[in-house]
Amino acid sequence: MADQIYNAIFIGSIYALFALGFTLVFSVLDILNLAHPALFTLGAFTALFAMQQGMPAAAAVIVAFVVCGIAGVLLDRIAFAPLRRRNAPPLSAMISSIGVSLIVIRLIQLKYGPDLQAYPAGTLPAAVFPIGGLLVDTLRSVIIGLAVVLMLALTYLVRRTQLGRELRALAENPRAARILGIDVERAIAATFFLSAGLGGVAGVLYGFATNSPFSQMGLAFELKAFAVMIVGGMGSIPGAVLGAYLLSFGEIASLAFLPSELRDAFAFGLLFVVLLVRPTGILGQRAVDRV
Amino acid sequence: MEKRSKRILGIVGALAIALAACGGTTGTSGASGSPQGSAAKPDVKVGVVISLTGVGNVYGPTQKNGVELAAQRINDAGGVNGAKMVLVIDDDQSTTDGGVTAFRKQTSQDRVVAILGPTLSNTAVAAHPVAQSAQTPVIAISNTGDGIVGKCTYGKCDYIFRASLGESTAIPATVNIAKTKLNVKSVVLMYAQDDKFSSDGFAIFQKALATAGITVKKEIAFSKTDVDLSAQVTAALAESPDAIIDSSLAGPAILVLKEVNRRKPGMLVIGGNGFNTPAIITSAGAAAEGAVSGAAWYLGNPDPINKEFVAAYKAKYNVDPDQFAAQAYSGLYILLDALKRTPTVTSVLHDKLRDQIELTTGVKTPLGEFSFNASHDVNQKVYVVQIKNGAFTPLN
Repeated sequence: MADQIYNAIFIGSIYALFALGFTLVFSVLDILNLAHPALFTLGAFTALFAMQQGMPAAAAVIVAFVVCGIAGVLLDRIAFAPLRRRNAPPLSAMISSIGVSLIVIRLIQLKYGPDLQAYPAGTLPAAVFPIGGLLVDTLRSVIIGLAVVLMLALTYLVRRTQLGRELRALAENPRAARILGIDVERAIAATFFLSAGLGGVAGVLYGFATNSPFSQMGLAFELKAFAVMIVGGMGSIPGAVLGAYLLSFGEIASLAFLPSELRDAFAFGLLFVVLLVRPTGILGQRAVDRV
Repeated sequence: MEKRSKRILGIVGALAIALAACGGTTGTSGASGSPQGSAAKPDVKVGVVISLTGVGNVYGPTQKNGVELAAQRINDAGGVNGAKMVLVIDDDQSTTDGGVTAFRKQTSQDRVVAILGPTLSNTAVAAHPVAQSAQTPVIAISNTGDGIVGKCTYGKCDYIFRASLGESTAIPATVNIAKTKLNVKSVVLMYAQDDKFSSDGFAIFQKALATAGITVKKEIAFSKTDVDLSAQVTAALAESPDAIIDSSLAGPAILVLKEVNRRKPGMLVIGGNGFNTPAIITSAGAAAEGAVSGAAWYLGNPDPINKEFVAAYKAKYNVDPDQFAAQAYSGLYILLDALKRTPTVTSVLHDKLRDQIELTTGVKTPLGEFSFNASHDVNQKVYVVQIKNGAFTPLN
């Protein structure tokens, strides 16, 4: 039982990290950034590249954060900013992001091929130790810890800092934000940097956990991140985290108590019930109060 | 736009291959010094339809390497009774439509003598009828699902052959070895329920385990897109079976192996064809040790034909071949064997070629001695392999 709870926390943390970046861009800009899975993959492969050059794992995580953050800013400049200037509908931005996603994944495939890859042997902590009846391993514990720290840091940043205030103003009303003297383009760039950086770190951590990064690895998360985001409340950061853990615990509870074929039906059924009770999601609010 | 550039790339690629092949022939005839030599005979065109893009592009590129190496070596050794063998390679884009289009093109436009492919079983079921109605023999080089040869869902399929070991042959062999050599009496059966390959394998495992009298303590379904299988493995280990069987592709298999190793090192894990890739060893590392699967081929097979193939492949591509490359390479040699026995190979006497393919017996390939059985399916040795010291090692 304790084992399964530990498993649920681990999976939930990965879902949450992925969903956070997704949610951030959506809450501030109302864009569904479908290139997010590609940035996730880019993170895993940036770390792979760095570690193949001899960099330690911890440094590779930071490199992946920065590289993906910059890629996120470029993504905005290339795929979204021109559309924004012409007041294109959000759907165009979504299509544009699909295009970027295909290009990024294809580029990764050109360099690494479509096969499963592996991080250099001996670079990842492999120790497993029992605590009571529970088997804990270093890598997963570090991943859970780091995920929680990143979630708290993002929440602090959005709630308590000047940048956070700007982001919230922007989410509420871009025009008003501009009139109030907020550098809107800078705030948008920051949003993309954070979102993509977090997505990249999620990719590295997940890549570490499985040690089999491959070019399509982000796609499996897309649907789940959608579900998590909607159930948590569109654009709500704590909501996304809550939704992620709800999904992972739902999945694992169904595995423990029901035939395994019914897992997804149960987990997504649970989310459906949540939406019936609260159509705006668990922490969903009026658009004004988002972020 | 993307399609067009792909097509242009394809044409350029085909031209390059043709040019390279031409160069090879000139060299050979010059060396042999016979003026009337091979130039008089028209080329023998062989179609190859494989997944170079789309989900199947994990397999298509190494298949391409395999057939190109085979064609090069065949032509260096005098081609088909002196005629040069030319490959027409088309991408099926891993889709049924792509496969049908490529098959139509190759049968009606290129008029190839036979086709190898397509890569994926789903595509094969759609594309094979095209060749069947055009009476062009097909040798499937990577389809492992049911209904590809023998009794086909779409009707008559007497022009279709399969040179790739099906799971319905490999899995029972694996289960038998598990029972007799590894003393397995009970198992937990895990499988990806939303993937045709995995769920077909699951059904075959169920049947084989029942036949062998091995108890299935629990069946655990998961999704091929699951990002983590620790919960499923925890549930499986709670049943304390002698072995865990995982019917899935390599991605989930790695998750299972790593998780099993983390919780219960030394636990026996048995898999299907999805395990037969070096990625299992590189990604799962020490966790892959001891994993058992049934394979059509393995890298370390000391048979001289295989050693020669592995060395030539490594020399040409600077990387070890995988099973898909070996099967593609073997497929072309199996076809060559039949072509050599067919009186007129270049005209469209496809029924004569089909008859000769049916008579294939004991062709020496990297897969071992190869024959077709009465229902046009592969008849070769199944290598039940176990990963030991980072290499696939035979158990039988």
